[in-house]
Amino acid sequence: MLIEESAYTNRWRRVSPAAKGITSLCGMVAAYAAVTPVGACGVAAILCAVTVLGAGIPTLRYLRVAAPALLFLSVSAFSLAVSLKIGNTFGDLSLHFPRTGYYRVAEVSGRSLGALAALLFLAMTTPLPDIITLLRRLKAPEVLLDIMILCYRTLFVFSEAVRDTITAQSARLGYATIRLSIRSLGGLVANIAAQVWQRSQALHLASMARNNDGPFRFLEHDYPNTARDMGVAVSGGSALILLALVI
Amino acid sequence: MALQAANHILELKDVNFRYPDGTLGLDRCSLQIRRGSRTTVLGANGAGKTTLFLQMNGILRPHSGTVSYGGATLDYSRQDLHNLRSRVGLVFQNPDNQLFSATVREDVSFGPLNLGLDVETIRIRVEEALLSVGMVECADKPVHNLSYGQKKRACIAGVLAMRPEVLILDEPMAGLDIAMQSDLIQILNRLHTDGMTIIIATHDIDFTYGWADEVAVLQSGTLLAHGAPTKILLLEEVRKELGAAPLVAEISRALALTGIGVYDNDCMPRTGAGLVQALLSQSRQENDR
Repeated sequence: MLIEESAYTNRWRRVSPAAKGITSLCGMVAAYAAVTPVGACGVAAILCAVTVLGAGIPTLRYLRVAAPALLFLSVSAFSLAVSLKIGNTFGDLSLHFPRTGYYRVAEVSGRSLGALAALLFLAMTTPLPDIITLLRRLKAPEVLLDIMILCYRTLFVFSEAVRDTITAQSARLGYATIRLSIRSLGGLVANIAAQVWQRSQALHLASMARNNDGPFRFLEHDYPNTARDMGVAVSGGSALILLALVI
Repeated sequence: MALQAANHILELKDVNFRYPDGTLGLDRCSLQIRRGSRTTVLGANGAGKTTLFLQMNGILRPHSGTVSYGGATLDYSRQDLHNLRSRVGLVFQNPDNQLFSATVREDVSFGPLNLGLDVETIRIRVEEALLSVGMVECADKPVHNLSYGQKKRACIAGVLAMRPEVLILDEPMAGLDIAMQSDLIQILNRLHTDGMTIIIATHDIDFTYGWADEVAVLQSGTLLAHGAPTKILLLEEVRKELGAAPLVAEISRALALTGIGVYDNDCMPRTGAGLVQALLSQSRQENDR
């Protein structure tokens, strides 16, 4: 929901998704091509600053969105840095921090941070429907896009259904004890499964009623400054890659 | 489907339909919808209103009997269904079951795109449809951020953009507050003035009495009665089936029993406002005497 909120309310909402896609792609290329960990971290810092200062995403919200990925990255980095040392006797185990591992950890972490910042730039400035439109222009398979559209929509319909069901269960003391909670949770899962089937049927009927007999097609947005946006994105992206190669 | 300029735009003749689980949908149901009329369909829950609408849009196919549009019987070929659904728009009861695109404008464009129109025509139609339901300001909003009433409007816009001749709405007032209901009625009146045939399923007897040109009452999948609301809704069997008669008609009848006739030029008032007007008019006449 935080990503969704940012995507619809940021300053660059009306910037061409293609331009934002190019910037994000260039960011990922730059992160991968960075010669040193410092270079990769620099790419991450620039993309982060562009997202927060340029698109006007609140810093705290940006950090909250990035937090799960950062946690995952720190666990991965720790496991890369540490190795188990097995002694001669049974049960003689110790943690070992090999010196050679530090550079490797810095390199992987730097690149991951850069790629994360590039992805967050796209996700937090571009609503998913615009990304789907972009993918359609890039000739992504129709079936995949149809599934993306339906999943995106049903995500909100079902989060509402889950909320309503939990409220209804709580109002009748469904979560009063641990035993009741487990029982209510089971009921919730069963109920939602039935709703998934009913909703999919209903959506199918609704699409037929509006003459649909194939892929889902929707009108695409107009972006009046696409050429200008693309120019800025290509030059900015190229500069980012050059910077990563130089630092 | 060779269309003729028939007086009855839609016609069901002895339609039988049963759902796969054995539930009765329609039982020898025959109904004619007059071109340009405002028809409401009344009936208890499970009486077959939604099934009737799905038959009218070609979503369901009768097990026996026929459905005709513009005088031509449906043959349920791909082309036939395409033509029917281009002319008969169906708005479902639950907007969440109808809206599956991410933004309002995208969803409204879904129907016209399925008609194979060019992009420029679609853009014009989408804007006009949004304008007609007062949703231009919400056009780029994500669907899940809309209120229930706005979702309903978005659904109607999605069907209007296909420019149907017949607009069918399944319980459109359900879940709407009084102000939203009033807005919706205004939208429907405007569409009707433009020549659209409108069919509504509702439980609101008073609304039907005041608004509709014709009413069809369903009972267990069968047409119980069909005709002018001022006649049909006063029939004893209809009153028994629906559980009530229109309030204005009841008051008018009670007043008549006390010697106060509220007929104005032999017409019975159909709305509360009409009844008050008739009473005031009679009071003035008595004062003049």
